[in-house]
Amino acid sequence: MIDVKNLEKAFGDHIVLKGINEHIAKGEKVVIIGPSGSGKSTFLRCLNLLEQPTGGTITFEGTDITDPKNDINKMRQKMGMVFQQFNLFPHMTVKENIKLAPVKLGLMSDEEAEKKALALLERVGLPDKANAYPKQLSGGQQQRIAIARSLAMNPDVMLFDEPTSALDPEMVGEVLELMRELALEGMTMVVVTHEMGFARSVATRVLFMDGGVIAEQNEPGEFFSNPQHPRLREFLSQVL
Amino acid sequence: MPVMKFAEWLAVMPDWMSGLPTGLQRTIFQVFQTFVFEDRWYNFFLKGLGMTFQITLGALVLGVIIGVVIAVIRSAHDSQRGKKPGLPLRVANAVCRFYLTVIRGTPVMVQLLIMGFVIMVPKLGSYEATVCAIITFGINSGAYVAEIVRSGIMSIDLGQMEAGRSLGLNYAQTMRYIIVPQAIKNILPALGNELITLVKETSIVMVISVQDLTQAAKVIVSKTYVAIVPYISLACIYLVIVIILEKLLGIFERRLRESDRR
Repeated sequence: MIDVKNLEKAFGDHIVLKGINEHIAKGEKVVIIGPSGSGKSTFLRCLNLLEQPTGGTITFEGTDITDPKNDINKMRQKMGMVFQQFNLFPHMTVKENIKLAPVKLGLMSDEEAEKKALALLERVGLPDKANAYPKQLSGGQQQRIAIARSLAMNPDVMLFDEPTSALDPEMVGEVLELMRELALEGMTMVVVTHEMGFARSVATRVLFMDGGVIAEQNEPGEFFSNPQHPRLREFLSQVL
Repeated sequence: MPVMKFAEWLAVMPDWMSGLPTGLQRTIFQVFQTFVFEDRWYNFFLKGLGMTFQITLGALVLGVIIGVVIAVIRSAHDSQRGKKPGLPLRVANAVCRFYLTVIRGTPVMVQLLIMGFVIMVPKLGSYEATVCAIITFGINSGAYVAEIVRSGIMSIDLGQMEAGRSLGLNYAQTMRYIIVPQAIKNILPALGNELITLVKETSIVMVISVQDLTQAAKVIVSKTYVAIVPYISLACIYLVIVIILEKLLGIFERRLRESDRR
């Protein structure tokens, strides 16, 4: 589904990604962990070109999205993204947040989007918040709305960039629970997170990034119980 | 044009004023001459005020349109992180920067003289002269509004643009539906200041003989040969307009802030 070849990214002289090769298949739940500054968020943001790679290619569903000839906006419609800071649109109600993209991109009529929005709100457990503004909601609720907003586009893959890092501890659970449900429904997911419990129980594969490369990867059982790379052992001993 | 002499005034003056000191009588006469005689309050001051408002509002509308276009071009150019902007964008950006430099680097009076006597050359005092004034002030104001709008756009969290783009909206759609509606809230106070500045600046349109408020006072001075009452009144009128505008903007701003707290 997503094929990454020799992906490189530099900010000026500062090289963040040093040639990453990775293949993410349909239905996989890939969790990326690693120390801060290791390039995991940059890697994720390169996948939908929020960061422009400085080298290598990314192929999504057979299309090279790093080729400027291909319309990245069309590709992004199939790649949902959830941000650490939620990034809901504060001047719109929850419902308008969800409906905006499908309606303005001409994918749904207003009534269809309305129906979809209400169904999604039901699904994320916030049906009574349709006409609320983002500021009236807790962090956890905002993040669930942000997930609903991405789902409204019927994406083929969901990218999560530290979705629980900005939340109060007691709100982390509700967001992770929703992500777990999504995973069970078969959504392809790429998740950057510090939640090791989530990685262990939901991931089909865990990647450990360090210094701009994927230092180690494995299925979660083996990954956590039998880490090979010394840097990963040190990292795990500190976070577990 | 009939000119009233003080002696004539004494003849028509209401009786109860004859007991007043001569100095006060003279002042009352000047006020009468400035405002009441030949309905000057209407023929000059009110009509001049209308013209001042007309030029101000016309210039503001034109300035906001120019300003928004330039601000969007400039921020589109500056937001191309790590990627060289395309040639059309680079050219458009260069044109905008040239415009900003020239307009902000020369006095608006000089711009008006050039527009009035070099570029458009309208018949003095005609309808075309008014249009010329509106265009000049619109172009001038556009340069300042552009920077106001640009700072408003830049004040919006980058995450908003990323969220819009990640949903598949293109740059223009994200600007239109997400960034600009939020930016407008931030720039309204600064835009209000621009409006107040404009009201006052338009007082120089008399150099192309547009009959605005200031010109009205000047004409009356030339009729009565007394400057103090018309000019002090003129200052008071501008002051009152500005105070009213400031009050209105204050109310408006408070409303906006309240809607933020929803």
